[in-house]
Amino acid sequence: MPLSRRNFVLGTTSILGASAIGAPRFARAASEPLRIGWLAALTGPSSAPGVGFDRGVKFAAETLNAAGGVKGRKIEIITRDTQGDPTKAVNATQEMINSIKVDAIWGPTNSGESLAVTPIMARARMPNIHPCVIDSLIDPKKFPNAFRIAPSNEQWDDATREYCLKVLKVKKIAVIGDTTGYGVSALKASVANFKRDGAEVVYSNNIDATQPDMTPDMTRARNAGAEVIVIWSVSTGMEARLFNARGEMGWDVNFAGHPSMASGEIRGLLTKPQNWDKVYAVGYRSCSYDASGKLPARSQEFVDKVQGKVNLDDTLFWWVTAGYDAVQMVAKAVQESGASSKEIIAYWNTLNPYPGYFGDYKYSPEQHNGYPTSDVVMSAANSAKHGTFALAPGYA
Amino acid sequence: MFGSIIVSGLAMGAIYALIGITYNTMFATSRVMSFTAGQLGMLGGVLGSLFILKLGLPPWLGFIATLAGCAVMGVVTELVAVRPVLKSLDQHLYVLSTLALALMVQQVTAIGWGTEPQPFPRLFGLGSGITDEKFWLPVIACALVVLGLEYLYRRTLVGMAFLAVAEDNFAARALGLPERRLRVWSYVLAAVIGGIAGFASGQLMLAFFANGTLLNFYGFVPVALGGLGNNRGALVGGLALGLFQQAANFTVGGVFASIAVFVLFIVVLLAVPQGLFGSSTARRV
Repeated sequence: MPLSRRNFVLGTTSILGASAIGAPRFARAASEPLRIGWLAALTGPSSAPGVGFDRGVKFAAETLNAAGGVKGRKIEIITRDTQGDPTKAVNATQEMINSIKVDAIWGPTNSGESLAVTPIMARARMPNIHPCVIDSLIDPKKFPNAFRIAPSNEQWDDATREYCLKVLKVKKIAVIGDTTGYGVSALKASVANFKRDGAEVVYSNNIDATQPDMTPDMTRARNAGAEVIVIWSVSTGMEARLFNARGEMGWDVNFAGHPSMASGEIRGLLTKPQNWDKVYAVGYRSCSYDASGKLPARSQEFVDKVQGKVNLDDTLFWWVTAGYDAVQMVAKAVQESGASSKEIIAYWNTLNPYPGYFGDYKYSPEQHNGYPTSDVVMSAANSAKHGTFALAPGYA
Repeated sequence: MFGSIIVSGLAMGAIYALIGITYNTMFATSRVMSFTAGQLGMLGGVLGSLFILKLGLPPWLGFIATLAGCAVMGVVTELVAVRPVLKSLDQHLYVLSTLALALMVQQVTAIGWGTEPQPFPRLFGLGSGITDEKFWLPVIACALVVLGLEYLYRRTLVGMAFLAVAEDNFAARALGLPERRLRVWSYVLAAVIGGIAGFASGQLMLAFFANGTLLNFYGFVPVALGGLGNNRGALVGGLALGLFQQAANFTVGGVFASIAVFVLFIVVLLAVPQGLFGSSTARRV
């Protein structure tokens, strides 16, 4: 089309008009708070992690706001209690995207909810950080907006397998899972990976977590010659029964596997405290103290920072630090790039690494599992102290 | 291994039998299969742990308080889930109403008590290994309940009145028996039996909100095996189920044990639809 005087006038007028309409919106956006949606299971079943994460989230928002916010914008945390219910999580996500128009969403914090809301957030291109472990929740092609701040289940499995084969130096493995979808799939993957690495899986089975007596399965594992028992279950009742059955059998085999084996609830279910010895649960280097009782320097810095402000005694250290890091990562993205979804996602894709308190997260356009596998370690399950654990024997 | 199968099989079998008797006791006076039976067992464990461990009551007082709590639940079941649907028994609305109440009890327990199993106190501190009290307490509780019920139904006027209502509630009403009050009391009795099952099995099954579903399910098997309304059948069916289940756990293990149990259950029902101890009744057409 030739550039005539009429076309030139029409074009420039249109551009000026559009700018004038957009200008107040831009001015309003700059003065509006930075809204971060927080899908939290704060009440009901499985609320313990949500409560821990929430402490970190609130502390991060308070710290940022006390320092003047981000580019003059205050941080506003929009919390919705999903009660661990995927339906409530979906409703809250829709509200955050369509009505409140948040800038980014942190959570949800359990995989069932995350499976339900991840496609919704992907359609809305909503920047999302979550700590859920199911491997399929992270796929940069399908969900380019979703970033994981915690290890995936595969990373837990890698850490457990490495500990069994390289530190404990055992070759005959028993793998036990519960009968939930998670237990079945985790057991299957674990058995395949052990076999791939040359170990002999002498016994594997999925057990109903409510089975009152675990002696039959432990007897079968012992008769099969198991040198370590790997557990993939979130059921503390089942785990405590397995430990008690081992104690009653007078068998000193090691247990290794799921982080829930270090849950404080197990203590009350043990017939003897020593039944919890030689149990090694997945843990994190940043949340583990060494033989002299010292935490890594950065973790100690966080403990000092939250002293008297955040209670760490009745929760897990990683829940609080991951909640803190998630909010800081949103703020950092807005500070360094811009507040649009595209800019936040693009910024996160360049983090290599982002030095958080829970870990050093590394992301790229092809990799949204940000937690370093080398920082996933095994902890002595019965050594909890202010939400941190002793490193399992064998780590430097 | 044989000792473990017998001991823990009998313990679990006794618990299933008690829940089966709970089903039967509620069914006898109302012709309603109330799916709150398993939840009463669950409440027995949770309330026992609450009263003794959390509130610090002595075990005997905790036991009484637990049974009182379960009794209240029995009355609520009759008032809320059974009485309103009695007029239309043929439509089987009680399946929905009692299931709904059972789910409510489970969810409220999950929210108030938590979703993780909690410890149940050691009551007498006797035994270890296969002689541990956690294995023989349910068996003793089951024996006492069965003997108590036999005495109640055979030797007391109230028990005979229960039987009269169970046999023919129209005739019982015509004779002047307070059918509605007797039905409420039978629900109280059933709830107490369920509570005893939960309390006696607390050390074995722990105080756990999800036990209700498990007990509902496995407690129904002896009822079907032994014949609806037949307490002796429920006792034999429950013990057989416990022993078979534990033997399957040792031999095939895991999910295959559950499959083995239900294959046997289906085979028995195909062979004897009215249950091993039930009798087929003629229906007027």
